Amino acid sequence: MRPFSLQFLVDVFPILLPFLSATLAVVVGTIFFGSIAGGLLAWAKEGSYQLFQRLAQAYTYIIRCTPPIVLLFIVFYGLPKFCLEVLDTNINDYDKLFFVIISFTFLFAAPVSEVMRSAYEAIDHGQYEAAVSIGLSPWQAFFHIVLPQATVVALPNFGNSVISLMKDGSLAYTIGFIDLIGKGQLIVSMNYGAYAMETYLALALIYLILTIGMEKLFLWIEQRFSRHKQAA
Amino acid sequence: MEINYKFLIDTFYIVLAAVPTTLKLTIIPLLAAAPFAFTIALIRLQKGKSLWKVPVSAYVTFVRGTPIVLQILMIYSLLPSLLNALMKAWSFDINVFDWDPIFYAYIVFTLNIIALLSEVLRSAFGSVEKGQLEAAECAGLTKVQAYIHILLPQAMVVAMPNLCNLTVNLIKGTSLAFLMTVKDMTAVAKVSASYGYNYIEAYLDVFVGYIIICSIAQVLFHFAEAHMGRYRLSKQK
Repeated sequence: MRPFSLQFLVDVFPILLPFLSATLAVVVGTIFFGSIAGGLLAWAKEGSYQLFQRLAQAYTYIIRCTPPIVLLFIVFYGLPKFCLEVLDTNINDYDKLFFVIISFTFLFAAPVSEVMRSAYEAIDHGQYEAAVSIGLSPWQAFFHIVLPQATVVALPNFGNSVISLMKDGSLAYTIGFIDLIGKGQLIVSMNYGAYAMETYLALALIYLILTIGMEKLFLWIEQRFSRHKQAA
Repeated sequence: MEINYKFLIDTFYIVLAAVPTTLKLTIIPLLAAAPFAFTIALIRLQKGKSLWKVPVSAYVTFVRGTPIVLQILMIYSLLPSLLNALMKAWSFDINVFDWDPIFYAYIVFTLNIIALLSEVLRSAFGSVEKGQLEAAECAGLTKVQAYIHILLPQAMVVAMPNLCNLTVNLIKGTSLAFLMTVKDMTAVAKVSASYGYNYIEAYLDVFVGYIIICSIAQVLFHFAEAHMGRYRLSKQK
């Protein structure tokens, strides 16, 4: 067996790092669209329409049972076919990032809707009533009184969801998207399978820094948002 | 949208035939990981400095901080050739490359679950009041007895929801075993789809298969939790 090459481990970092942007693009894009979708789901779950409630709950349950890779494949193979035959538009040559973000939006929306719902429920309903009673409109009461408090409650769980999203996002390479792992795989195959361990270890270190950094970032945001919290 | 229903149904049976592989990939790592996870949880719960704490925590952080697909790629690229070198060095006449790849899948998932399960157990044991252990020791039980008969039943009740999540995530995670050429549900679907490019139908089958398995697992955990609830301390005092 070939000995471990520390030199290669160091050399491979500058080749991999430019592809960090692709990995982060998936995460940021999914957080954006997934939070909107998750918000809608949470609204449906909390709302008074029984049908919407049931549908949102069923959706969350199904996603909870679906492996990310299966959903990714269904979207990647199914969506272009669907668009071609039903909407009569050809999206086969769209960027793979498009399909990746759509798949992970489907996946991310479900846990985020649960995070939002439980945060919303954690806020005493009296807060809303008090706000309305002093003359705020229901929308104002929600956006100025309930939402800021619910955000603080939601942050730790939201952070966890983002971290698991980032880790699941590494599956994008299976449909040929070139992110960190995709580039890593290319490097390994360019070396005919040699230096695999060094490349993967470098990737592991990058991911480790990303997840720990993300954890710290959310902790910092949480502290920042908790300034206005009243002492119990 | 045209869906080949005959293929959809035929492939569903092929996918169902691969369910045992998925179950094996779930149950064996869970059982194999349990003693190690238990040990790690106890080490990390110990008060004061311990020589083992740092490497054990580093291991848990590493597993939790990296995607499982990367762990699979690492172990699957390292372990076979490492084992081969060892076999040669010790002049055993065994060809490692003839082994069923499921063996490596067991190792990857076990190593992964050890870390995740240890966190579940750690928080569960942490939630059991300290007085319980002290009382058990006062009553004359040894530390091991106290852990098995007093702390474990109480901790397991607390751990159940997290254990259910862990199991469901592991079931979903086994879908990546095809990266190690294990013929699990995802892999057989992929193979049968590739003949006629019927990927959507094949993956819809897998999708349904996972929903069924995960639902069964959740129902089982629900019953287990209800059963273990007997040990829950009553809240009224």
